[in-house]
Amino acid sequence: MTTTDITTMLRRNIKSQLRYPVTIFAIIGIPVLFLLLFVYVFGGALAEAVDVSGSQDYVDYVLPGLIIMTAAAGLLGTSTSTSVDMTEGIITRFRTMAIFRPSILIARVLSSVLQTLASMLFVFVVALLMGLSPNATAVEWLAIVGVLALISFSLSWLGLAFGLAAKTIDAASNAPFPLILMPLVGSGIVPTDSMPTVVRWFAEYQPFTPMIETLRGLLNGSEIGDSALLTFAWCLGITVLGFIWSVRAFNRDRS
Amino acid sequence: MRDALPAAERLLLAVLRNPAFIVVLVAAPIVLVLIFGFIFGGAIAVPGRATGGAGYREFLIPGLLVMTASNIVPSMVTAAKDNHTGLTDRFRSLPISRVAIPAGHALANLLYGVIGFVIMMLCGLVVGWRIRGNLIETLTAVGILLLFQFAATWIGMYLGYLFDDEETAGQAAILVMPVGMISNVFVPTSGMPGWLRTIADWNPLSAVCAALRQLFGNPSVPAGGVWPLEHPVTAALLWAAGLLAVFVPLCTRGYVRAGR
Repeated sequence: MTTTDITTMLRRNIKSQLRYPVTIFAIIGIPVLFLLLFVYVFGGALAEAVDVSGSQDYVDYVLPGLIIMTAAAGLLGTSTSTSVDMTEGIITRFRTMAIFRPSILIARVLSSVLQTLASMLFVFVVALLMGLSPNATAVEWLAIVGVLALISFSLSWLGLAFGLAAKTIDAASNAPFPLILMPLVGSGIVPTDSMPTVVRWFAEYQPFTPMIETLRGLLNGSEIGDSALLTFAWCLGITVLGFIWSVRAFNRDRS
Repeated sequence: MRDALPAAERLLLAVLRNPAFIVVLVAAPIVLVLIFGFIFGGAIAVPGRATGGAGYREFLIPGLLVMTASNIVPSMVTAAKDNHTGLTDRFRSLPISRVAIPAGHALANLLYGVIGFVIMMLCGLVVGWRIRGNLIETLTAVGILLLFQFAATWIGMYLGYLFDDEETAGQAAILVMPVGMISNVFVPTSGMPGWLRTIADWNPLSAVCAALRQLFGNPSVPAGGVWPLEHPVTAALLWAAGLLAVFVPLCTRGYVRAGR
């Protein structure tokens, strides 16, 4: 019964997401647009700073940051669609039905993870067409998929919390924007050592930097140090925060 | 002109009653200076200067002034909103010149554009940008900037009248962003692939940007044998005049036909 409820809700969420092409365009379009701009427009100017020979090689450096940006952009879809459901009263109707109540939240998170992973795959394919040359082994590829799934899962809970807590759809769609831009204020576009001290301090200690470094290390087959451990810790923290916030917001009576 | 002034006043009053717009107007220049000046700036090499830092910020500020001037989104959304709410229909029924309402919008945009420029220039001065040209050159640069913004506003209004509502206009605005990026606004075009460099060099924004850098006495990009970059002031004036010549009639026609 529990699995059936989750599957039914998951199917419903995926169908409703496909009916909003503008949201899908925002989730995929923003990172792809940034990828094209940073590789072709800024790549030549930034290549020297990241110690590569030009925009062709700069794509290898910049992709991990923009893949993480895609995960953050996934928040936008989760937050907005959750808020639409909350404000239009469908959640209230679900609550009156004889269904496993957590299935509403679990299905929303799962559909968000699937959508985000599909978006990441699209961005990755565009990067391959632009000349990306990864050096990952089979084990590293598995690790990449695992890391991306973990990041998507943790951020989906946060997106769900934003959507449940927001009083209006506008508020839900605006709240994730600072998070979408946060990978830029990390090691996503340029190395942190080229930044002024205060900015560098923030860039080095914010959650997206170890995620970017882990992904970059796995894709290029280089050392990742303690980035993987930090990524896991941040993801765990974000998941716990998002989960507790989501459950509290969901159980709060909004009538 | 007499009909255009009340239209401009209406728009300015609407802006004053919209705190979100005022916040964006003030915050956007500051955010752009911080992101490009401090986050990416340290990694970007400017011709004739060491990589990054203050040299890049001097190169950047004229570019950001041009980006502010070329922001067609507010005029696009305003025109689409007037179209959607039926206000355009009501204006058309009044015994006023056809060009009065779009001209009023353009004048109002010019006024809060000036506020945006002042904030951007103050931010620039704080982060190390300096005006090294004489008074006449500086006034010429400001004049070019205002003229270009005036032209950009007409483009925005023309596009706005094509949309049925402001949401669609707002969503379409993301497609406008690359136009500003594919230029010498943020980085020298020398690092771009050949085909893209040609587009960037002939982008009107590149000419206006090069004109501002020349007149303010800031670091500029090599012309590379491209006419608009070799004669940036002339090219900037020609671009502005050309855009006005094309889009004032188009916008007026768009206003007359909007919503029909």
